Amino acid sequence: MGIRFQNVAKAFGDTKVVDDLSLEIADGEFVVLLGPSGCGKTTTLRMLAGLETVSSGEIYIGDQRINDVPTQQRDLAMVFQSYALYPHMSIAENIAYPLRVRKLPRDEREKRVASVAKLLEIESLLDRKPRQLSGGERQRVALARAIVREPRAYLMDEPLSNLDARLRVQMRGELKRLQHQLGTTTIYVTHDQAEAMTLASRVAVMKKGRLQQFDTPLNIYNRPANRFVAEFVGSPSMNFVEGTIDRGTFVGAEIKFPVNRSGGHVTMGIRPEHIHVLTQPQDDAIPAKVYVTELMGNETFVFLTVGPHKLIARAPADFRAEVESTVWLRLEVEKAHFFPKEKSTDYPE
Amino acid sequence: MSHGRTRITRTTVLLVALVAALTPVYWMITISLKIESDQFAYPPKWFSFTPTLQHYYDAFVTRSFAQYLLTSAIVAVVSTACALVIGTLAAYALTRFRLPYNLDRKLSLWILSTRMFPAIVTAVPLFLMMRDLRLLNTKASLIVVYTAFNLPFVVWMMRGFFAEVPRDLEEAALVDGDSRLGALVRVVLPLVSPGLAATAVFCLIVSWNEFLFALVLTQTDAAMTLPVGIAGRVTQYEIKWGVMSAAGAVAMMPILVFALAMQRYLVRGLSLGAVKG
Amino acid sequence: MPRSRRFFNAPNRRELLLPYLLVAPALAVLLALSIYPLLYSITVSLQQETSSGIVWTLSHFKRLATDNFFRTAMAHTFVYAVAGLTCEFLLGLGLALLLNQQIRGRGLFRASLLVPMMLPTVVVGVVWRLMLNPNFGAINGTLKQFGVDTDSLTWTASPRLAFVAVIAVDVWQWTPFVFLVLLAGLQAIPQEPYEAALIDGSSRWQTFRHVTLPLLKPAILIVLLLRTMDLLRVFDQIFILTEGGPGFATEMISLYIYRTAFRFSDFGYAAAMSFVLLALTNVISVVYLKLLQKE
Repeated sequence: MGIRFQNVAKAFGDTKVVDDLSLEIADGEFVVLLGPSGCGKTTTLRMLAGLETVSSGEIYIGDQRINDVPTQQRDLAMVFQSYALYPHMSIAENIAYPLRVRKLPRDEREKRVASVAKLLEIESLLDRKPRQLSGGERQRVALARAIVREPRAYLMDEPLSNLDARLRVQMRGELKRLQHQLGTTTIYVTHDQAEAMTLASRVAVMKKGRLQQFDTPLNIYNRPANRFVAEFVGSPSMNFVEGTIDRGTFVGAEIKFPVNRSGGHVTMGIRPEHIHVLTQPQDDAIPAKVYVTELMGNETFVFLTVGPHKLIARAPADFRAEVESTVWLRLEVEKAHFFPKEKSTDYPE
Repeated sequence: MSHGRTRITRTTVLLVALVAALTPVYWMITISLKIESDQFAYPPKWFSFTPTLQHYYDAFVTRSFAQYLLTSAIVAVVSTACALVIGTLAAYALTRFRLPYNLDRKLSLWILSTRMFPAIVTAVPLFLMMRDLRLLNTKASLIVVYTAFNLPFVVWMMRGFFAEVPRDLEEAALVDGDSRLGALVRVVLPLVSPGLAATAVFCLIVSWNEFLFALVLTQTDAAMTLPVGIAGRVTQYEIKWGVMSAAGAVAMMPILVFALAMQRYLVRGLSLGAVKG
Repeated sequence: MPRSRRFFNAPNRRELLLPYLLVAPALAVLLALSIYPLLYSITVSLQQETSSGIVWTLSHFKRLATDNFFRTAMAHTFVYAVAGLTCEFLLGLGLALLLNQQIRGRGLFRASLLVPMMLPTVVVGVVWRLMLNPNFGAINGTLKQFGVDTDSLTWTASPRLAFVAVIAVDVWQWTPFVFLVLLAGLQAIPQEPYEAALIDGSSRWQTFRHVTLPLLKPAILIVLLLRTMDLLRVFDQIFILTEGGPGFATEMISLYIYRTAFRFSDFGYAAAMSFVLLALTNVISVVYLKLLQKE
């Protein structure tokens, strides 16, 4: 079912936590709300769930305006960051709880619990209590409880953040497959941009309660709407150089290259993979000093200083250079982004 | 700081404290089991006497102590049950809901303050009220008064226990489709059940031991509680120590059993939650 | 976002009412049985039954100023409270400090100490009347065995000794409470400040004054508050042990009010005295609570 936020705002006292948010989510989409802590993404999710009231604006599920519908009647399922499993019930009872509350007959309940448990491979855990399970197992139980109801949409609040790095990557893949299989609309909140990029069909980037950009992961990466989005997405993050465009040339301290844009003070952004590091000088190549290199195994990060600027570049795995040695940089200038200096614009609607 | 010496001091102090605490109680129990001539013997007979159950028989069969016992039990159980239900619901509301004008905090403090009244201050008007309502010398008047008496305690204790349950669980229950009260019953209450039990035991103990209100409100055999029955024997001109001790020993038994069972929560309860025992 | 903001919000009117509905029964009970009696008591204290019916009067309150018995009872209550509090606090604190270690059989020890506190007050009264009986009580009996002349130790029959005895009984019953609460408070203090003080070269007394006492303050305050309230409104034990006697020697204010109301049926005067007592305990508890709030 499609979900629509229309000029939704939420204030706690005098603080505006969500500011004029408008989003349209299609049925079956996997939308990720991405942003730093305090940006309002969790509050948005909770407003959708009915755990927070909406200060102004409307929220629709399908054609139904749900602002005044109590939580228990919204037919949404939620996976909490802490999983929120009922400690005194067995795993089977935990999963069956939403069905029990809807007064489903016992055999129907057991059937559904069994099939969901099979889907998530937790059949052997059904008789245990939550405290006996590992983090990854508890997370799957939380998922099972959400799935068993066949709700209109899944809401997930940073479900992977309590897992260790390896498990997180594994669960990410499983989540994506699962959602693909089930085809239910999913709204997922995270501050981890890697999660957002890998899981989402579309990402909504938020900052201080305002929507910055709502687009596919690829577009967010290649065509960021403003400096904040450009900096937030991508690891290592984009390099920024302050400068001016004067008569067709961008000038930023020791970095110069021709551009096809109008003039003014700008911030130029370029991603590490678009900076090529050469050990021999070439025409137009910019000299730079190596600050330090990090060998990642499959590639090398090269930290550079160019005049007053500090840049990061991605180099092949076999790249070697001494600290303080001089290298030359070739920039893929057609991949450079330009942002107006200081102020970042918000997503124009 | 020599460890040996402090250890000896510590053990001695411990033993002295133990003896001091238990000896008087032990003495009363011996009086209840001694024939009269043994009771008045000098030097005092601590261990060398032949026990008799005569006084217990006197108290509970010949006299009405069995009836007083039953009354105490009924009043304690019923008033505790009422206080638990009413108080727990109120405690839940005051912990989980934020009311305008900080009402939830103010109400909690106000409820607690009613516990601070000296009993005599409300006993006198309550007597007059019960007299006007023709409820003197009834179990009902005691039950009602004890419920009010225990209510602040229940609210205060249960607030502490509810606060320890993470909100996530109730929110998950709501999203899963349960109603507020359903979530309370199915998710929250099972998790605070040890707290409920401890609170219940405290209320039972307080109601069982209560003296002043019972003294003021019940004077007939039919309605008297055990403490009042015992006190009655004391203020008469002829004091039957044996009977009194027997009644006292029986009065004290259930309390000791309960208190031992609830040791863990004792300090917390008695200090109104200020200190975790 | 601070967690404390996450209270339940009510999307619709029905749920908005829920908290009030849940609190209502408790409020109703308390209003009916704690507040209303107070108000009733005020009216009673301002009324007097005369031959021409009921009149409004301040005579009861005026009587307070000249009633020697009232003043004596108040004085007794204060002395009793201060003496009892001091003994219980010092003993309890001492015990707690001494025993703040892992002791073998701690459960058993704690259980035994519970006994005095948990007894019905009436039973405490009975127990100590038996112990203090001049002729066959265990105290005098044991003292006599050690050669002490007990003829003058008539305890509850002697005006001066009775007062001491009554205080001693309260100390016996409630020191365990002070001990347990302070012990729990001590054990809640983390180890780090002590280790830091040790490294800083602090002496035992200095550590006690600057580390232990401040961290123990909340527990101390709550225990002092509760004991003070209980001591000021003492009734049960006095009633059983001495009935306020011999004569007026151990009369406490609650007992005097009780007698005025139920022996002399002078409800108006009793109500007036109740208010003085209530005002007093209120002031004291407010002071304590203010001190506690500062923690």
